[in-house]
Amino acid sequence: MRIVIDALIVISLFFAFAGTVGMLRMPDFFCRMQSSTNIATLGIVGVIIAGIIYSIVYIGDTSMAVKLCVIGLFYILANPVASHALAKGAYKHAGKSVENLKVDQYGEDMVQEDE
Amino acid sequence: MKKTTAKAVISTFIIGFIFWILITGQAVSILNGKASAEILAAGALVCLAAACFSARFFIHERAFHLFDPRRLGAFLVYCLIIFPVELIRANVDMAFRALSPKLRIDPGIVKIPVGLSSEYGQAMLADSITLTPGTITMDVAEDTEDDNKTYFYIHWIDASAEDPQAAGEAIKGGMEKYIRRIWE
Repeated sequence: MRIVIDALIVISLFFAFAGTVGMLRMPDFFCRMQSSTNIATLGIVGVIIAGIIYSIVYIGDTSMAVKLCVIGLFYILANPVASHALAKGAYKHAGKSVENLKVDQYGEDMVQEDE
Repeated sequence: MKKTTAKAVISTFIIGFIFWILITGQAVSILNGKASAEILAAGALVCLAAACFSARFFIHERAFHLFDPRRLGAFLVYCLIIFPVELIRANVDMAFRALSPKLRIDPGIVKIPVGLSSEYGQAMLADSITLTPGTITMDVAEDTEDDNKTYFYIHWIDASAEDPQAAGEAIKGGMEKYIRRIWE
């Protein structure tokens, strides 16, 4: 069991590391946010699952495991809403000046509405 | 703003009370038959008050839709099997994209069609897309001329397809089919 827990934590650390490197290297705000989702999903969920296994097997406290489940659930529920709001707000604020987009069908449709 | 209905309040109350039981650690005590009546009563009161205020934001249509066992089963299968598989695949892809020396990115904002009519289903699909690394849902648009088809605008880190249909296939994968099974 110990090996499973350690493996989960190592996997989470790897994804958190990749997400951080991505955040530092990506050219603009939206791409950075894409990379940060890496940390938010597998980076956190792996640690939470490891915690659940640890609290059941080594501490023997099931209510702690249930609480960890609830924390993970709320995390998963709240994260996409925040990401979406950030992305939309950033685009409304500085959308026309975002460079290096290959296609921008959102901007095209917005211009049509303005006219 | 929608009006508060009794059904919506009851449905919100049940969901809130389940979370109260989970977070106060009473779930295990109930199974052992040692639950504390005071904690449960206090929780019921608070949940009822909260449900009265928040039901109209939470439930808009078909309040008891998810309490059907078959739909609940499909919901659990989606949350525990279908979605994690997509999530892990996208995570690995994104991690190697960020770590590769050349930084292979090709960002773009694409518009994809969504074949779900239920509000809950659309919200669930948009959340699933945002949680998958590499795609973020930016806005929802309804085309009023073309019999109310819904579109999502999605920021995609690897915009390999510009055509709405092809991009939709690549982004949604198998998720839309399962969400339709849950909500319609």
